Amino acid sequence: MRYLKIGKDKTYEFLEKLKKYGKLYAPVKISDKFYARKEIEDVREIAFDYQRTLLPLKKYFLPTCEKMFDIDIEKNEYGENLEKIEPFVIFGAHACEIVGLRILDGVYLNVYPDIYYARRRKAGIIIGLSCLPDEHCFCNLRRTDFVDIGFDLFFHELPDGYLIRVGSQRGHEIVDENIDLFKSVEQKDIDAFREFEERRQKSFKYQGSFDNIRYILELTANDKLWDEESEKCLGCGNCTMTCPTCRCYDVQDIPRINLKSGERIRFWDSCQFRSHGLVAGGHNFRETKKDRFFNRYVCKNSYFYPLGTSYCVGCGNCTYFCPANIDFQKNLDKIRSNYEVIHG
Amino acid sequence: MDNVYSVYKCRVLRTYDLTDEEKLFLFRFEDSVIAEKWGFIPGQFIQLTLPGVGEVPISICSSPMRKGFFELCIKTAGRVTQKIHEMKPGDIAGVRGPYGNGFPVQKFEEKDLLLIGCGIGMAPLRSVFMYAVDNRWKFGNITVINSARTGNKLLFRKELEAMRDMAEAENIRIIQTVTRDPDWPGWVGRAQEHIRHANTNPKNSYVCVCGPPQVYHEIFEKLIEGGYNPRNIYVTLERRMKCGVGKCGHCIAGSSTFLKYICIDGPVFGYYDIISVSGLI
Repeated sequence: MRYLKIGKDKTYEFLEKLKKYGKLYAPVKISDKFYARKEIEDVREIAFDYQRTLLPLKKYFLPTCEKMFDIDIEKNEYGENLEKIEPFVIFGAHACEIVGLRILDGVYLNVYPDIYYARRRKAGIIIGLSCLPDEHCFCNLRRTDFVDIGFDLFFHELPDGYLIRVGSQRGHEIVDENIDLFKSVEQKDIDAFREFEERRQKSFKYQGSFDNIRYILELTANDKLWDEESEKCLGCGNCTMTCPTCRCYDVQDIPRINLKSGERIRFWDSCQFRSHGLVAGGHNFRETKKDRFFNRYVCKNSYFYPLGTSYCVGCGNCTYFCPANIDFQKNLDKIRSNYEVIHG
Repeated sequence: MDNVYSVYKCRVLRTYDLTDEEKLFLFRFEDSVIAEKWGFIPGQFIQLTLPGVGEVPISICSSPMRKGFFELCIKTAGRVTQKIHEMKPGDIAGVRGPYGNGFPVQKFEEKDLLLIGCGIGMAPLRSVFMYAVDNRWKFGNITVINSARTGNKLLFRKELEAMRDMAEAENIRIIQTVTRDPDWPGWVGRAQEHIRHANTNPKNSYVCVCGPPQVYHEIFEKLIEGGYNPRNIYVTLERRMKCGVGKCGHCIAGSSTFLKYICIDGPVFGYYDIISVSGLI
């Protein structure tokens, strides 16, 4: 891998240069407590120390709502909505989110590639940014705290700038076209990088291995914890909307008022909604709130085999944004320790 | 890159009332090139689109041997299917697919075949049955158990009745049974009670089952009791698939060690999959 360094003084200059590669999106502070990714006018607005944004990275590739087809009802014709997608640059993606995007890639670009997703993925440049965990982060347990591929450039914080990893051909090109902004990495930078990584590892609240959680979850499906916790749940679906890897969508045909034309749209859906498991004839495969609540734990903790990680990347968003204060990580931890008590 | 959500135009050629709720539709592709190359495996499903109304996943219920044509058995269950029921010969609908794994029919060759359909579950099994009839010399004895609540709710009742003589000549046993119809002159009782009347040799058979979720466990019990090899039992499952291509997540089922998209990993699953994963049925 190619490593470079950029000084603090040159960083803003580089960010300004990024705008010529496409619209620049980065996290900005939008209130006392919250950050969101927005199109950047002034690069000095960018929040480098953000923990999490209101909506995850997936919104740029799988919009909350998008038109798939224009429908001509009279002629029975479907026009694909393939308007040109302008290139864009995302600065400041954390490692867990980049792994999340790779999981979405695995789903959306499988043997039946989704053209809408694929076109956006092709148009997007991803620049990662290192972070320090807060009390909700557990990417270390998910082994998604460090990412090797899936980005064009990755910025690692140093006391006087950033150590940059180049992760793609496009990354190489961007670096080469702005080579005068970069320096080569020196010993003191390597020491600082190492120090940062060590500090980061130590600041995770939870330590240890998490791989057996899949079995324990299945074995504790009847635990009373699930009754208690799902009782608190409001069924709002915030956890799935803010999840970097939740990817369910619903489709609807919306006819115009003349009933001669319309459009087919798709929009984010959530397994926490009652309609999600409903089939023709009224049978519901996830009838109760507890079924739906437990389903998310099961789905997130199962393995995505192409990557060898679970669908959950340990970002903590579902806990942070839960209006009922349900702690995903803590519940999993409880199940683990219960298991140890029961089975010695 | 092709758009996997694009549909092919299909023309309705015939509609036929199977029961008061279910209709059989015969479709053919408008485009001759598509008609030539389009094929499917019994057990696969398609997404049927009515412009401006919506899209629904429907199992194909005809034999794959007839190129360019396919039949769908559709129950009025919601907004889209109601509109589909209003379609007349000559009307056009959109179709994409086929999707899913389908039944492993190649594996079934040289073996006896027991098909157990309960209610609307008969629809995907009719495809397997018709395929077996069209390829009669590849299979051993065949039994079809078609069950419903009452005689007039039996899907394909008349068709199966009309096949009686042919069935006899071809070593095919057709058992149409109802559970709650005092006027029904034929077999009575639930499907599992007639497994013992099948002409299939349990030691050398494949079994396909389809029905509402609550019927499976008893059928499995009777099959295994009757000596059928659990390894040779297959079921086909239903979900409200929106995409059919493993994206939309509506058909995700299973648990943390076995998470499947029923639309691409299924809809056909083996017995051992079903018993090791809660939530599949």
